[in-house]
Amino acid sequence: MADGSMPLREVRRLAWRAITAHRLRSVLTVLGVVVGIGSVIAFATFGASVQAEVVSQFQGTGASEIYVTPGGEDGGPPGEDFTRPAFTTHDVGELRDIEGVQAVVPRGIVPTSSVAFGGQTLARSRMTATTEAAFSETVLVSGRAFRAGADEIVVNEAAATLFERNLTVGSTVTVAFGDRTQNVTVVGIVSGTRGSVTPTFAGGTPRFYLPADPFYRTVVESPTLGVDQRAYPQVTVVATAGETESVKRAVEASLQADSDAAQLLPPDTEIGVRSRSDIVEGVQSVIDRITRFVTGVAVLSLIVGAFGIANIMLVSVTQRTREIGVMKAVGATNREVMALFLAESVTLSGAGALAGIPVGLGVGYAATRYAEVGFTIAVGWIGIAVGIGLVIGVVAGLYPAWRAARVDPIDALRYE
Amino acid sequence: METVPPQTAQVALDDVTKEYDLGGTVRALDGVDLTLEPDSYTAVMGPSGSGKSTLLNLVGALDTPTSGGVFVAGEEVSALSERDRARLRGTEVGFIFQTFNLMPRLTAVENTALPLVFAGWSPDRRRDRAADLLSRVGLGDRLDHQPNQLSGGQRQRVAIARALAADPSLVLADEPTGNVDTDTGADIMRLLDDLQADGNTVLLVTHERRIATHADRIVHLRDGQIERIEEP
Ligand SMILES: Nc1ncnc2c1ncn2[C@@H]1O[C@H](COP(=O)(O)OP(=O)(O)OP(=O)(O)O)[C@@H](O)[C@H]1O
Ligand SMILES: [Mg+2]
Repeated sequence: MADGSMPLREVRRLAWRAITAHRLRSVLTVLGVVVGIGSVIAFATFGASVQAEVVSQFQGTGASEIYVTPGGEDGGPPGEDFTRPAFTTHDVGELRDIEGVQAVVPRGIVPTSSVAFGGQTLARSRMTATTEAAFSETVLVSGRAFRAGADEIVVNEAAATLFERNLTVGSTVTVAFGDRTQNVTVVGIVSGTRGSVTPTFAGGTPRFYLPADPFYRTVVESPTLGVDQRAYPQVTVVATAGETESVKRAVEASLQADSDAAQLLPPDTEIGVRSRSDIVEGVQSVIDRITRFVTGVAVLSLIVGAFGIANIMLVSVTQRTREIGVMKAVGATNREVMALFLAESVTLSGAGALAGIPVGLGVGYAATRYAEVGFTIAVGWIGIAVGIGLVIGVVAGLYPAWRAARVDPIDALRYE
Repeated sequence: METVPPQTAQVALDDVTKEYDLGGTVRALDGVDLTLEPDSYTAVMGPSGSGKSTLLNLVGALDTPTSGGVFVAGEEVSALSERDRARLRGTEVGFIFQTFNLMPRLTAVENTALPLVFAGWSPDRRRDRAADLLSRVGLGDRLDHQPNQLSGGQRQRVAIARALAADPSLVLADEPTGNVDTDTGADIMRLLDDLQADGNTVLLVTHERRIATHADRIVHLRDGQIERIEEP
């Protein structure tokens, strides 16, 4: 006579019989898990989709651009040094001389009070000062870049439509700097600028660009040359295609050595030198953290599903006390009884996890349609969700199964 | 009454006492000595509450005594682990209950084969064995019926088939005719008589003298003690 114990296949078969005996009850219990797993997957999918979308927006152009700012290294939030004008014309020239550099675009802020055109005056607190290097052929919609030293202005498309009458190349606008006013001629309309960190979806903000010479008046004494020079808070270096990384290292070396910026900034300020891919990584990690948080909250809803399983399993143990007694009377050990009930709860939660995957993907897909972003599947989270589902089955089933194993067969068989 | 050495007897009870604690102490069995020889047929009679079912549960290794020794197939039940006691029940003992105690959602064949599941038999062997036993108790045409599709007498016959599935040496029946009519009861008693003829040791609890006389010996219990043993 075989003195084996019950094989796993039999455990599964008997557990399945118990589940199908109460179809409606089992389905409702499974639904609790479906909702939990489904929301985890839906949130994770949506997060991954938004991340992929944003990253693709940032990656669109400017793969060869390197952004230089005081402070704010490692993608962390820039400190107050962020706006400190530290990069002098001398520094810009030094950067321009690095091998593989196509252009160096300095950017500064010109404080203004208003801008007027065609009898209409609009309040305007600042305009961007830069050099003609900011305007490549690809960003120019019409006209040309301004010339240094000229009373000229370049505007973006949003700014061109700001007034009742649209600005065109040749229009004259009046800019007020405090109590002084100055007429400037619109010479170009652009879709953006080279060397702006702003992603394409922020292109709707009106922007006015003035030539640093003569409008940018922020000057410091260059420690290297000992004369007053224009100083900018931000510089973009455009590298020759494919040389971004080597140029980035050269820029770092040049700035750390004996640039004006290194001498002007407080000693412990780092100069941030970031390529487009550094910034993409930063954005990616922020969205990733948000997604993990929200998905973590959804994991909590799984706990509700776990309670549902624990509840139904306890009911089941009570209802089947007599059956447990019978099984023990015909030779079932406590461990085998426990295995039967655990298999039942793991089957319920496993079924919930499996059904939760398409539900979660469906809801996640609908959310991406609604938010008008592309659909990306978070494969890792699907694995995690299924894993959590099975763990829930074990955890929720453990106590009921232990209760079942402890049933006293004598009491159970007397139970009416 | 002489105590037979536990090794040779099928079942031996040595000064067995069983107490239940429910606020006060209930002494269900009080110093019982009893041996069941292999291939013997013993009936236990006594008024309600005299300890008949308690005795049966101890012999069937479903429970352990408060004091004294219960030996089944040479093993002292109290000394066995929970796991070994379960195996002993599964392989050496077959239970027949007054209320049948079938699994409601399993078919006749599956109910009959249940002890074999825990003994690790393969599904095919189980089914063959169960079908064979069911035809022996006259249910060859009811193999795939569930308990609620069977009459009381048919259910009890499934329970008898189940008790025999693992070919145990000891069959224990607690009021097996208590829930069936007289004719069906007679059928069931014939099956039990056959069991003894096949070499099984049978212990039968009843309070009907007519049923008890099927046995070779009648043990009379009163207040947890053996009042007398009758050998008709
Ligand atoms: N699990 C238990 N817990 C507490 N007391 C119990 C338990 N089982 C039996 N008893 C008590 O032990 C005594 C003997 O009970 P037992 O079931 O053995 O009687 P019985 O002879 O089988 O009676 P009946 O003919 O009514 O079935 C009774 O007083 C009963 O109340
Ligand atoms: Mg009884």
